[in-house]
This record gives sequence, C-alpha cells and structure tokens, in this order.
Amino acid sequence: MARKVPPMFVARIFLVLAVCAAALPAAPVSFNRDIRPIMSDTCFRCHGPDKSSRMANFRLDLRDEATKPLRDGKTPIVPGDPEHSEIIARIFATGARAMPPEFAHKTLTEAQKATVKQWVAEGAVYEGHWAYQPVRRPEPAAAAGSPIAGNPIDAFIEARLAREGLQFSPEADRRTLLRRASFDLTGLPPAPAEVVAFQNDKSPDAWVKVVDRLMASPHYAEKQAMHWLDAVRYADSAGFHGDNLWPAWPYRDYVLRAYRDNKPFDQFTREQLAGDLMPNPTVEQRTASAYNRMNRYSAEGGLQPKEYLAKYGADRVRTLSAAWLGSTMGCAECHDHKFDPFTSKDFYSMKAFFADIKETGLMPDRGADAWGAKLLLATPEQQARLDELTAKAEAARKELDDQAKQLLAKNPAFGGTADRSWQWQKPVAARAGAGSILKIYNTETVDSSVNGFERKRGDGLIVASGPIPDNDTYTVELRPRAGTWTALGLDLHSDETLPGNGLARGADRFVLTEVDAELGGKKIPLVLATANKTDVHVDAPAMAAIDGDPATGWSEGHMLALRFGAKVTTQADSVITVRLHQDSPIRRAVIGRFRLALSNAEFSWPFLGDTGKQSKARTDAEQAVLNVDVEHGVPFDVTEGFKVEPDKRTEKQQKAILDFFEFTTPAVQPLLIRAEQMAWERTRFFWTIPRVVTTEAVEPGITRILPRADWMNETTEIVQPAVPAFLGKVDTGGRRATRLDLANWLVSAQNPLTARAYVNRVWREFFGIGITKSLDDLGSQGEGPVHPELLDWLASEFVQPAYDAASAHAWDMKHLVRTIVLSKAYRQASTSTPALDEKDPDNRLVARQSRFRVDAEVVRDTALQVSGLLVDRFGGPPVKPAAPVGYLFAMNFPKRDYSESRGGDLYRRGVYTEWQRTFLHPALLNFDAPTREECAVNRTNSNTPLQALDLLNDPIFVEASRVFAQRALAANARNPIDEAFRLAEDRAPTPQERRILMGLYTESLKQFRADTKAAEALLSVGEAPRPKAVAPAELAALTAVTRAILNLHETITRN
Amino acid sequence: MNSNELCRRSFLRAGLGGISGSLALNSLLSAQSLGSKGMVNPLHHAAKAKRVIFLYQAGGPSHLETFDYKPQLAKLDGKPMPESLTKGQQIAQLQGKELVCFGPQHKFARFGKNGEQLCELFPQIGSIVDELCIVRSMTTEQINHDPAHTIMNTGSIIPGRPSMGSWLLYGLGSEAENLPGFVVLVSDGKGGQMQPIAARQWSAGLLPSKFQGVKFNSIGDPVLYINNPPGVNAKLQEQSIHAVNAMNKIGYGTLKDPEILTRVAQYELAFKMQTSVPDLVDVSKEPKSVLDMYGAHPGDGSFASNCLLARKLAERGVRFIQLYHRDWDHHGGVKANMEFKAQETDRATAALIKDLKQRGMLDDTLVIWGGEFGRTPMSQGGDGRDHHIKGFTYLMAGGGIQRGISYGNTDDFGYAAQENVVTVHDFHATMLHVLGVDHKRLSVKFQGLDARLTGISGDVIKGILA
Repeated sequence: MARKVPPMFVARIFLVLAVCAAALPAAPVSFNRDIRPIMSDTCFRCHGPDKSSRMANFRLDLRDEATKPLRDGKTPIVPGDPEHSEIIARIFATGARAMPPEFAHKTLTEAQKATVKQWVAEGAVYEGHWAYQPVRRPEPAAAAGSPIAGNPIDAFIEARLAREGLQFSPEADRRTLLRRASFDLTGLPPAPAEVVAFQNDKSPDAWVKVVDRLMASPHYAEKQAMHWLDAVRYADSAGFHGDNLWPAWPYRDYVLRAYRDNKPFDQFTREQLAGDLMPNPTVEQRTASAYNRMNRYSAEGGLQPKEYLAKYGADRVRTLSAAWLGSTMGCAECHDHKFDPFTSKDFYSMKAFFADIKETGLMPDRGADAWGAKLLLATPEQQARLDELTAKAEAARKELDDQAKQLLAKNPAFGGTADRSWQWQKPVAARAGAGSILKIYNTETVDSSVNGFERKRGDGLIVASGPIPDNDTYTVELRPRAGTWTALGLDLHSDETLPGNGLARGADRFVLTEVDAELGGKKIPLVLATANKTDVHVDAPAMAAIDGDPATGWSEGHMLALRFGAKVTTQADSVITVRLHQDSPIRRAVIGRFRLALSNAEFSWPFLGDTGKQSKARTDAEQAVLNVDVEHGVPFDVTEGFKVEPDKRTEKQQKAILDFFEFTTPAVQPLLIRAEQMAWERTRFFWTIPRVVTTEAVEPGITRILPRADWMNETTEIVQPAVPAFLGKVDTGGRRATRLDLANWLVSAQNPLTARAYVNRVWREFFGIGITKSLDDLGSQGEGPVHPELLDWLASEFVQPAYDAASAHAWDMKHLVRTIVLSKAYRQASTSTPALDEKDPDNRLVARQSRFRVDAEVVRDTALQVSGLLVDRFGGPPVKPAAPVGYLFAMNFPKRDYSESRGGDLYRRGVYTEWQRTFLHPALLNFDAPTREECAVNRTNSNTPLQALDLLNDPIFVEASRVFAQRALAANARNPIDEAFRLAEDRAPTPQERRILMGLYTESLKQFRADTKAAEALLSVGEAPRPKAVAPAELAALTAVTRAILNLHETITRN
Repeated sequence: MNSNELCRRSFLRAGLGGISGSLALNSLLSAQSLGSKGMVNPLHHAAKAKRVIFLYQAGGPSHLETFDYKPQLAKLDGKPMPESLTKGQQIAQLQGKELVCFGPQHKFARFGKNGEQLCELFPQIGSIVDELCIVRSMTTEQINHDPAHTIMNTGSIIPGRPSMGSWLLYGLGSEAENLPGFVVLVSDGKGGQMQPIAARQWSAGLLPSKFQGVKFNSIGDPVLYINNPPGVNAKLQEQSIHAVNAMNKIGYGTLKDPEILTRVAQYELAFKMQTSVPDLVDVSKEPKSVLDMYGAHPGDGSFASNCLLARKLAERGVRFIQLYHRDWDHHGGVKANMEFKAQETDRATAALIKDLKQRGMLDDTLVIWGGEFGRTPMSQGGDGRDHHIKGFTYLMAGGGIQRGISYGNTDDFGYAAQENVVTVHDFHATMLHVLGVDHKRLSVKFQGLDARLTGISGDVIKGILA
C-alpha cells in the first residue's frame, strides 16, 4: 500500500541527519546511549538509587545530587568542567583513589573514561531512562532518496541500515518463506502441497493470503500461547516438594482461546489479574483469574505458613514485573533496586495488590480440599444433573442418619470393639491374565521393606513380579474349608520397592476397577464395599470397585471390605475364586502385594490396613491417617470417641461413631447400602466435571515492607497497594486499590512499559532476538533498543493501530503480528555475507532474517506432523507422552512412576504436555523449555549432545520415524525416500543428499534382511498401528532413513 | 587440519562412497569433545583441587547422631529446652509444640589421633577421621526441604539460578571428553523417609543448558536415551549419525551457519557418550576387593555403588559429581533409622576417601559430606527430630582443606552454631576458592545484576584451608 508523504517530510530529513551525526565519534555524547550503561554497570551499585548500599553519601543517577558539593568540598560533577569534577579525577586515578574501586571487580576502558569526560565537558546533560518515557508514535523516516512507502517497520529499519551503509537482503524464496511463516505462526511445518500452491500463486497478495490463512488456524494460538505460558509460569503441578498435579489446564485453554480469538491485550490483562473482580464476572473471566494462582505452592508438612505466603506474594510481583513491565522488580524485595528507580516500598506496595487472594501458606495438595479455591466448570446440563444427584445422595444419607440416630439414642451403651473375625486365607492358586507373575507365600518366608527391611512368613501374601502390564486381572483361588462367610477382605501391603505410592507396580496409585467372587461357578453378589480412608483419592472410593463400571475403580486406602449379599457356605473342599480387575485408563496402576481374607462375622470393618506394619512402628498419628485402630478392629476415631462421655465427643468422633453404628446395625443396612450407592453416583459424576484453581477475593491481609525479605519481621511499615511511585499512581479517591485498578493501570497511557515489553518479546518470536535483547530488563542494566523508534512505533501501533488498521482494535495482538510478518524485513533471506557477519554478527540491525532451532514443543510437533502421527485437538486436559521408566524416581509424596497417556493423547502437540515442574518431560527440558517454576520471558536456544540423544533414541521419535516411513511408502511406493524428504523439508533432495540417504537405506536393508528380529524390534516401538503388508526389513530400513531425516538440522530449524 | 576441514573431508567420502560401515567415526571426530575451557581462564589463583565429589545426604542428617557429640544434651533428655534459645527462631513441624530436649540416641567414641568424638555407628568414617575436616558450625536459612536444597545448591531460593556444579562447569570447563562435566547420582535408603528432590537442584538455571547436571540413573537408561532404539545396533547407529552429519555438512556448505557445525559436533559427542557411558557405569568389572571395600553390589543403585561410580567419574575428569542419598528425614525413629543410614553410608564414604587417597587423587579432589540442614536437639513425637537450620555438621576432605581438624562448634544443646559460624555462601566461597576461583569474580549478567553463586555475601573459611 502506498502511503502519502507527510507534510513534515522535509523537517524530518534534518532529524535523520542529526541522528546519523550522533554515530560519529566526535559527536555529542548521549546520556542514555553512552553514559547510563557505563554508570549503571560500574557506579550505581554504590552511588545509585539503593540508599542502603550507598557510599560516601552521594548518588550519580540524579543530576541534582551529582552536581552538589560533597562534605569534603569536592563536587562529583561540575557541568562543563571536567577538570574540577571529582568523578573525572577518580576514574583517571590509579591506586587507592581509583574508581571503580578494586573490590567492585569492575574496570573502565580508556574509551569509556574519555566518553564520560566528554559528557561532563559537554554539560553533563542527563536524560530520563528511555523505557520510562511516554511512548510517542515516531513517524517513520524515509531512507535516503526514496519516499516512505509500505510498512513503517521497513522504513525504520531501512533508515538505520542506510546509516550503517547496509541494505535489506533480498526476499527469501517462497519455500523458505512459507516454512518460516508456518513455523513462526503455527509451530508446524507446511505440507509440500501448501508450498507448491504458494509457489504457483502469482497474485500480488499471495503473501497476505498465506499469512491470513496461517493466522486464522487454531494452530496459531497453540504456537503464540507458548511463550505467554512461560511468562505466567503456567504448569500442571505445584512445583514444591511433592509437586502434585493440579487442575490448571482450563486456564491454559483460556490463554489459547485468547490468542485464537484475538482478545484485546488490555482485556486479556484485566481478566487474568482481576477477572474475579470484574462486574458480574463470567466463567471465562473467573477462569482467567487463575493467573494469580499459577505460582508454586508447597504442601510440605512443617512449613511455616507466613514464610510461604511471603514467597507466593514475592513470586507474583516478580512475574507481573517481568511479564508486563519488562522490569526486574524482584531486586527490590530485599532493598531498593540498585540501578532502576524501584524502591523496596514499590515492591511491597505491588505485593499488596495481591493480599486479597484467598490462599493458605500450606496448600493442601491432595483430597477434597486440594489447592484451595477452585471453580467448577459445569455446563448448565452438568450442573442440573449434579444438583439432582447431590439432592438424591443427601436425601438417602439423611434418611439413613435420621433412622440411625434414633436407634443410637435408644442404645447409649453402644460401644466396645468390633468382631475381629477376618480369617487370612492361604490361597491355593493365583494367576494373572496379562503378564504379571503372581507368587503365593503361605508358609514360605518373604522379604519386605517398609520402614526397613524384614523377612518373615508370608501367611498368604501374594506378590506380583515380572513384566508390568498396563492392565491386569488377578485371579486367586481360596479353599477356606467348611464355614459360613459374610465378607471378603483385601489387604494391600505397601513396600518400598513399589513405585506407585508404595502399593502399585507403576503409576502413582493402584486402581482396582472391579472385584468379583464366585463359588462353584456361581457369582457371589457383593453389595457393600468399605475401605479405610486416606483422603487422597477422594474420587475413587471403595464402592467404585463393585459398581460394574470398568472405567472407575478404588484407589483410596489400603484395606477393602466387601460384604456379601447373602451368607456363603463352603464345604471342606470348596473353592472361592476371586478376581481383581485392574482395567484403569491409568497405565500400570496394578497392585503389587496383597492378602485376602474371609469373615464370618455379621459386620466386618476393614480394620487391618497395612498389616505389614501393624505390629510395629505404627504411631498414633499414622493410625489416625489410616483411620485404623489396629488393636480394637474399629476406626481410630471410634475408639477415641468411646473413651469420652457421649456429650464430650468431638464432631469428628460423633460422626465416626454414627458411621460405625450404621455399619453394624442390621435394621439400617438397606438404607446404608442405598446411601453409599447414591453417594458414589454423585461423586463419580462430580469428578467428570472439569475444574480450575481460581482466585477468590477475601479481606486483604496486612502487607509490610520486609527489609532483606525477612518474613518474621512484624514491626516494619505497613503499605497499601500502589504502583511504582516513579511511574505515577492509581487514583481511587481514597479507596484501597485493587487488582483491577492495577490491571487498568498496566494498560493505561500512564504506563509506558507494558506495550514496549510485549512488542519487544513478540519481535523476538519473528526475528530470534528482541529489539532490545534483554527481554526481561528494560531498565538501565538492560540493553538499549537497537531500533528505538521502531520499538516505540510498534508499541504505539499495538495500543492504537493506525497503519493498515481497518479491522484492527486497540491492543490488537494479531494486528501486531500481522504487521510484523507482512514487512519486508521479515521476508528477507537469512543468508549472510562475510562482510555482514563481520559488521553485525548477531543480526541486530536486521539486514537479513535469522535462523534458529524451533522451540522444544515444535521439535516434537514437527516430527508428529511430518509423520502424520499428530492428533490435532484444540485444548483439553494435559497429556502425558511416553517418558523413560524411572524418570520420576527422585520424587515422592506420593512415590510414583510415569504413566503415559493412551491412544491419541500420546500424539498431541507439545503445548499440551503435562508440565511437571520439578521433573519436566525430558523432551521439553532437553530442548530448553523452561520448567515454569519461575517466570521466564526469554528461552535460551542451546545445542547439546543430550538433544542429539533425544532425537535419535527417544521412543516417540523412533515411532514417528516408523510411521513417517509408512506414510512415505503409502504415498509413493516407488520412491519413498524422495517422498519422505519432501514431506519433511518441502523440497526434493539434491543428488548428493539422495545418495547419502540411499546409502543408509541400502546398508540398513542389508542388515535388517540378515536380522529380521532386529527389524521387528525397531518396528515394534510405539503403539501406532503398522500395515501388515510391508516386509519388515524394507520398512525398518526406510525407518532408518526417516529417522535420519527427522534428525536433520534443517528439519528442526526455522530459516 | 582444522575441524572444518575434517567435516568437509568426511562429507566428501560419504558423498562419493556412500555410507561405509567401516568408517571409524572416532578417528574423524577426535577434534570434538565434551571437554572445554572455562570462563575463569587463567584461574584467579592457584587451585588446590580440580574436582568435587559432593556426597549430599538429603533429608537433613542429624548432627547429634553423627558427628556432633553433646553429652550435656543427654543429661537434659526429657527436660524443656531453654526458651532463651528457641524463642523467635524458625521451626518446622514442631510449631506450637512443647520443646523438650532429646539426648543423642547413639553412643559416641573417640577416633583418630585427636580423639575426635564421632557416633560409634560410623566406625569406618572414624577410621579415616585424620583425613577429614569436620565443620560443626554449618547453618542455612531455609527450614523446608525443597527451598533448603535449592539454596544449598544454588545459593538462592528463587528457582532459575545455576547450581554449584553448573557454576563450576561454566567457570572451569571440563576435562571429561566423552562424559558430561557435571554428573548427578541418586540413591535411596531403607527407612522409607525419602524426601523428593527436584531436577532444579542440578539445573544450569540462567546459564546455557550445556552446563546442566546430567543425572545418571540406576533404573532404565543410565543416561536418558543413551541406548539405541530396539533393533538398532551400534553399527547402524554409527551409520545413521554419519548420514545425518553428512547431510548437515552439505547444509553448512550452502549456508555457512556455524550452528550447523555445532549440531554436527553434538551428534558426534552423543555417539561417543553412547559408547563410553554404559561401559563406565558398569562396575561389575571392578575387582571384588574394591567392590567389598565400598560394599557395592553391581546394579543395585545403592549409595555404595554410586560412591564407586563417583571415583570412576572423577578419574575420567568429571568436574562435579554429586551423589544424593535420600532418607535422612528422621522426624520419627531416629534411633533405628540412623542404624540404616550408617549401614548405607559409613563404609562407602570411608572407602571413597581411602580409594581416592591410594590412587593419589585425594590431593586434588574435594570431597564433601552433608545435607540441606541438620535436626533439632528437641524431640519430635518422642523418638524423632525436626528440621534444624541453626547449626549442623559438614565433613570436608581432600584438596586444599586441612586434614584431621574440626572447625566451629554448636552450643551445649547442639542447637546453634557458636564459634566460626559458617553460612551456605561461606561454604560455596570456600569450595570455589580451593578450585582456584574467587567467588566474587565468578559472575554472569542476569536481569541487570552480576549473578553469583554466593549472592552478595560469603567469605572464604580461611581457618580450614590447607
């Protein structure tokens, strides 16, 4: 689009000339460009904003202060008179008087000294720091001789290039362009057909069409959201200690939708920081407010709540500061910032905005109360169904309780102990259906390790070993001799060798999906399942084991009592067959060690819990947790309750006694069974509804300035919420400022930082490096922008679009991206010349495009896309791609092993990978994805041998290679190598390249023909189906080739 | 011949002759290695030690049942702790509980020429006490495991700072050619009190990720993805890597992008690691006498096996070897559990020091033994001890550190470090010092600051330097 030459054109030419002149050596010194970086690095630590570390009682960051005489009569700076300026004397001094002093480990070069001297001679003119000046909209200057046309981005850059004697590189070829835009905008390589279509599109707006197509794709959001999620440290686990998983993904989906639907950034800001405070907040807004809960949380027993509340609050200030302000306010937690004008008071005043968030220092990480405030994301239909089930469950429970209470009132003497009638069985046979090996230890001794090692008689213990199947069914035969039986008991033994919470052979829990028992070929009806409870897996109570639903199961507790529908009578040689079905979607959640018991008592409580430990080292506290009083065979709270007069019992004891009374009173059994069934119905449905941690506002707590971050200090100044003083203030007319006020200020004209910080980061997405490379520090220690006018123009254009802005709105994230991608600067070739490399090795001037490895997620996505494995589904709960066995070995609470997803969830995009903060998935970690334990706005891009090992040997890439080979064969059986190469690189291989790949194929084929077992082994990696028709050796050899292709630098590099 | 030339030649050969299985990758790749020069070059001063083996006892070992003898505490067993000591001090699980003295649960005995009092559960360590420097005045700031680990490893509680091993790699580089310069090993104990350890503890943080610690595993691949996929033998792996590199070099020929050459080098190194690591971690070929000395059983993943592995890693030039041994979190049953810990660590720790010494390596290896904090002199639940940060014990031995001394002490209760108090930053400063590095000058720009392992404090503990 041609633009009219503005009337002030001539005037600006002079401006340009002036700027050009500034680059010449004899030109006047600029404070911001030349002096501030020197002073910030070498002077401000002791003579800067932080009063606590200020030396000799003077500061150099303010002109008024620096030009005042000191007590000794000397004046640090006498403008225009370097000879009488003490700082000049001192920086040129040697020995003890030299500045900076030796202990600072800083030195000034001769050139720097000369610059400072020249600056003083020229009058010591100070300038405010660039980033704190209001964003003005600079008009682009024309490159010498040519009128301003087209995209202002190009005008700014070309003007600068012209001054440097450089020019734009030629436009990249169309294949490169489309690959670049596809990687940058969608995080996926283009299909070869898309490249061909673009190459053949001769229309003038071919590029615009391509960009608009890519930006309209949901994949655009999946790519753009990634780095925002880094900044807000979105993760699926809490990050401290047990690092348990929490429901955060609906917030991630909110961010995805915001990018997909191009939510205005100001609204995006308000909703995240204060969605809950907006008038009549929508579910969407309250979901967004989960932003405030994305900090790490600890559930470590024995933590000091105040200390952790201080940590959480400080984390929020650091994150806000980096993500929105591009500033390092974290420095001011302990003391005033040493280089920038942020005071400690600013830090704590900022923290005070978040003092209304409902949370506890010790954040429960399991059970019903886990993670504090949560928002249930029920559809209206789900809510109605839930209400109905809740009402039914409550009514059934009430009917039971009412009747039981009446009966209990008539029986005040109820008490004593239960009948300890479990008879531990010595099984006669045990077998597993899916590969586990079950061994029975009756009279044999067995080793176990629970709180130490011991060896003793098994007494009916069954131990699973051998392969660990995803699912299994254990079938056990009991020969109980003649008797009459009322219940079946299952006792799980924990053992240190079992990774799944000490109980299961894998995963982080066991899941018993269904139990059945039969006698003489006849099913024994099981009517009531009761377990001792741990309040960990509240969604998996005992009733789930007898509900006939193979998708749900029991995970909660150690001992299960299953009541028979009617008494069962056995003869001397009768065999009862028990089947433990373990069909959970959670892989390897299979039981490790267990015993079975039968009871002949009328009512048998699941009292034994973990019998391996029962006789020793069972503290009162542990018994309480397990709800087991071993000695009396009743729940712990019952024993405790019986010890005191009925009217002195705690609520918990009363409840326990009532429960136990209900369990053992014949008259209420039908009501009890019904109430338990209804409760489970309701629980089962409740847990199918998604939820998200959310922000709930409460009365704000007190926020104090904590010198040196000492959280124990309760004497220091109390602060109110306020934005950094030097950046202005929020006017609330005396009302306490809220997070919503903060959000409004962040996106107000008063604050010059948000737009600059954001556009600078977006620029990096499309050029590999920011306009200032210090994405996290726009302050005086950061780098000044290489193209300052461009940065401000982009900031202004972002906030108030004016260029080609017909359909744009304020704070338009897509408009910003589109404007960048449509620029000539973006479309340049990335190839360099020795001369350009010499002059601008890091490509800061943008006389060419950049090349860089794609992000960790995109490394994965590319392999999945190219192979055709990618399962393309937008949003949803996090998924678990396969990871190495034992990867989570160093974690605990619970002990766990990795349990990967099933089916299509194995092949989702990297952005959906479960973000486990303390042990991030290795394929993400190896390729520089941040753990998101802390806000990160600048990913590094490394190149390590661990990356090579990952791409070569990680099963997902091996599987992708195999499926990739299948795809190439199916598409082009005559020349699958060329086909594969084209699928990955969107071009044909050169003859040389073809020879190398053919060579690898020929060699591999020879080897695989000689060793078809090896071929089978390679082809068996992964669960994706493989066609039976293809000969294994051929497919394996082609897999070797596709594997090499997926490993190519070109494949994972955006050019 | 420079490496570019090598690249070009190998590409030519591959291009002309296809992939030749007999082409020995190693001969072509000799110019590449994981070894590297560090940023501190030359060293700030002469180094006494070249490498560190840190036997990190995770969970917080009780100093009162190991190396800090408190007869007075035994006498006060069951009596209330003086409030003057504990008032206003941080406390963990004992918050709001009555604080009662809890005497040492095991006897102490005298060892070595100075008659150092050590718990008699540790006779092997006792037998080498004349090699040790016992620091009895260690302190930290963080009273919960996760942040306490983080500050002990990185000098900061905020995630994202480099761990000390990463700092050492950054500063000193590595002499290990086919191995990472910073290796982490984790073992479990028998007591079942295994606190989790986050991968953050060996993260390179704000430094490039090539400086991160690489965890060697006793389960599955010894290094993640070090083993070839099923069905791919060493020859095919070599040919595959060769093909990848040959293709990449063609790309370099066109683009002249040095990042491509780096990629080529990384694939070569990966292949070298694939051949060297499995051999290295296999301790079964060690003589039986050595296995017995450590108490190691090949493949058991025990602390003893890891100590032996640590020695092998040290021999190959690995700069920083960190062993985490878990299960020291004795909130309960400290008496019985300490017996497990002694069985697991006493022999192996002593064996490592003896082994290094007999190989002449103790002089230039710094060995450190200690955890993230100590434990209270007050009882928890009648038979355990809570977390404690005001005073606990570290052992140091080897290069640059005086032998047969003790340094600092705690009060009669074993509560607070009294004399020569050592902070985490002091400890880090001292470690760097013996390696030839001034902790104030090992820094990297981060968020406008010169980030350092020691933050803005820390003094070298001169009193223990040899």
